[in-house]
Amino acid sequence: MEIRRYRVDGIFLTVGLTLTAVYFAVPNGGPQSALYDAAGFASAAAILTGVRLYRPRAPLAWFLFALGLFCFAVADILSTILEDPPIPSAADWVYLVGYPLLAAGLVMLLVRAGGHHRRAAIGEALVFTLAFSLVQWTYIVDTIVDGGGSPTRRAVEAAYPGMDIVLLAALAGFFTTAAWRTPAFLLLVAGVVPLLVSDEIYGLTSSSYTTSSYVNAGWLLSYVLWGTAALHPSMRELSEPRPNVEELRLSRIRIAVLTGALVTGPIVLLIQDFRNAPYDAWAIAVPMIIIAVLVVVRLTAIMRALERTRLRLVEADRVKDEFVALISHDLRTPLTSIMGYSELALDDDLEPPLDEERRGYLQVVSRSSHRLLRLVDDLLFVARLQAGRLDLAPTILDLREVARQSALEAQRSAEAKGIELVFLGDVPVEVEADKGRMFQLLDNLVSNAIKFTPAGGRVEVVVSTNGSAILEIRDSGVGLTAEEAPRVFERFFRAEAAVEGQVQGTGLGLYIAQAIAEAHGGTIRAAPRDGGGALFRVELPLATGIIAA
Amino acid sequence: MSERLILVADDDEDILLLVTTRLRRDGHDVVQASRGDAALALAREVKPALAVLDVGMPGLDGLEVLAAIRADESLAATKVLLLTAKAQESDVRRGYESGADAYVKKPFSPTELSQRVQALLGA
Repeated sequence: MEIRRYRVDGIFLTVGLTLTAVYFAVPNGGPQSALYDAAGFASAAAILTGVRLYRPRAPLAWFLFALGLFCFAVADILSTILEDPPIPSAADWVYLVGYPLLAAGLVMLLVRAGGHHRRAAIGEALVFTLAFSLVQWTYIVDTIVDGGGSPTRRAVEAAYPGMDIVLLAALAGFFTTAAWRTPAFLLLVAGVVPLLVSDEIYGLTSSSYTTSSYVNAGWLLSYVLWGTAALHPSMRELSEPRPNVEELRLSRIRIAVLTGALVTGPIVLLIQDFRNAPYDAWAIAVPMIIIAVLVVVRLTAIMRALERTRLRLVEADRVKDEFVALISHDLRTPLTSIMGYSELALDDDLEPPLDEERRGYLQVVSRSSHRLLRLVDDLLFVARLQAGRLDLAPTILDLREVARQSALEAQRSAEAKGIELVFLGDVPVEVEADKGRMFQLLDNLVSNAIKFTPAGGRVEVVVSTNGSAILEIRDSGVGLTAEEAPRVFERFFRAEAAVEGQVQGTGLGLYIAQAIAEAHGGTIRAAPRDGGGALFRVELPLATGIIAA
Repeated sequence: MSERLILVADDDEDILLLVTTRLRRDGHDVVQASRGDAALALAREVKPALAVLDVGMPGLDGLEVLAAIRADESLAATKVLLLTAKAQESDVRRGYESGADAYVKKPFSPTELSQRVQALLGA
């Protein structure tokens, strides 16, 4: 079924394009006219067929298209019959009825489509239309209005370019909606554009028009493409209401349209000046003033929308941090049971004793729960940090002692991995710091180093001083690239080597280390080491001793 | 007053059983309560050497029970260990300020808890 439908528009398009080519091959007069008239009626019929096939929700818009094109076809016949009629002729009146019908159809689809900021859409369509009318007036309408002939004749002649503006305005509105990417809409655009182009050429060169002129190709193409649009299955989507989009995007097309509209006036002025041609200052200045105001209003609206988006993001970030804090807290209670009961089950004094297999399983449970606890604690810490609630209880302490103890505590996990863990520090280094946080900082850096160092490697924890307290953790692990070095402290950052080597981690440890160092007025940096491995260097201010009590 | 009698109060049954099991294995006598008000009544009745109190409990919370125990002269010898899921330093500080003898954060290792209890009762 679907395939057959796609074929309908394909066949119509192929036949239409072929006949457009044939039009120029057949002799002038009768056969050509017959072909031309047939195209008009065929497009109106195609639209009615499309409505029957796809049953769109707003068939009225499509009926208006069919009626408009039908008017064009009737007018085509009238102008053939009348043969070089005076202006205005009956044909002209029928043509001029067709344009508003087409424009009304476009506007109806536009209103139904939704999916846009209505005011923004109207504003942008207006900017585009004003710029077009400015050009239209300067190059076509002005000449006609100031030209010869009866007032009626001049009015009818000027009505054609006027109608083009109306049609274009309706079309422009569509580009600001979400519907403009549907194939049926693009076909409609393709149908309106040759119509406008031919009208424009005709408007500029009406004196030299002949019935077999290539200008006719545009009108023929318009018939064919309009009919194809109605036969394309996506014509149905075109009249489906779409959800309104919240944010305003400054797409390239949008910027191009607004810029183009803003420079139209000056460019027209320059061209007319260059050609020594006359121009109407009011006809250029007034639309340009309106365009300038509209563009500024548009940009202001976009800026405001961005500001609203920014505020929403800030709020979302806050809610997320609260959520994390809440979840982390609630996770601790079940974790107490998991960790506690596995420990009870692993108790050596228990009778009967556990067999080795079950003991192994429980050890995995126990290890995993400890890792989970670590993760929960890290998340909670980060959430508190983000919320600006990192309480410090600083005392004077010896950084060397803290580092020595941390190295001692990490000794077991280093040995388990076959890594040599060395502590180096000759002199006491007094800093004013929160003891718990210092242990956390050390623990994060040392376990990070152990994690990234393969068996047989070496990790050094070094404390020294040179005007400030210096803590260095050097490893012989997978290392990091110079580009990664500053980024390792970002939240959730995972180094390439960590991802590839499937080293477990959340990307929070170093972020936390940095936060702690900075909260103490210090700095932390990472660097690759010559010959592989990584170096982490923390610098903290030395204790002044004034508050020592 | 029993030297080895410990009152354990927690509204989470699993945790109550966990603490009880560990302490009984260590040779302590344990009485249980799952609400703060019940815990206080039980404490006044049995005069335990130690009360292990969860901070977040219905009835009375752990800190309120602690305050009532401290205000009760007949319970002057009862030591108090607080258990809490709140990991914030300010909570720990508040716990000590209200006169707890020890403070253990959830999740805790039963072994660690057992050591803390031993230290409190041994002294």
